[in-house]
Amino acid sequence: MADPKQQIMEQVRQQAALSNARLLVDKLNEHCFERCVPKPGSSLSSSETTCFTLCMEKYMQSWNTVSGQYLGHVKRGAGGAGAGSGGGGLF
Amino acid sequence: MDNGINLSPDLAQNLQNLSDKDKQDLNQFIMAEGIAYTMPRRHMDIEIDRSPGQKAQIQQTVHSLTDMCFKKCVTSKISSGKLDRSEEPCMQNCVDRFMDANMTVIRHLEQMRTLG
Repeated sequence: MADPKQQIMEQVRQQAALSNARLLVDKLNEHCFERCVPKPGSSLSSSETTCFTLCMEKYMQSWNTVSGQYLGHVKRGAGGAGAGSGGGGLF
Repeated sequence: MDNGINLSPDLAQNLQNLSDKDKQDLNQFIMAEGIAYTMPRRHMDIEIDRSPGQKAQIQQTVHSLTDMCFKKCVTSKISSGKLDRSEEPCMQNCVDRFMDANMTVIRHLEQMRTLG
């Protein structure tokens, strides 16, 4: 039988990743639906679908930019302005 | 947000058979990962911090900052999958100014506290 401690850690990691992903999907939908489907028709048009794809990419890049910038602050010990962006994205 | 974890019953059962050291390791791990812990207490006879830990808290902040700054910075028609030349610095400034604002609030509260 596998080490129960490792098994539990793995489950915790997976569930944390899952809830993070779920939150991202929620936000993506919220923003991109708002931006790309101003007047819902009987089906998603191809331009709406394209807009969604671009919007998702844009949002994920934004997430990474914010993540790098915010982590910079956290590492420098919260507070104060500062230039420079770090990596540290997910996507 | 529901950040709780649900262990499968057989794993939960296994928790009771862990050594004290393993329990301690697990506790530390969970605090760092920062998942609100929803298992019944009796499965683990050690203290569990129920508040989200560091990692989850940081991720949470990144989500809400992205949410807020995207609204502010990406206002023109979405025609590319990449942030353009003005959007990228805007996102960065947005985070920086939010931290400044945060700091201003804290300083002001601190001042109010010391002045009575």
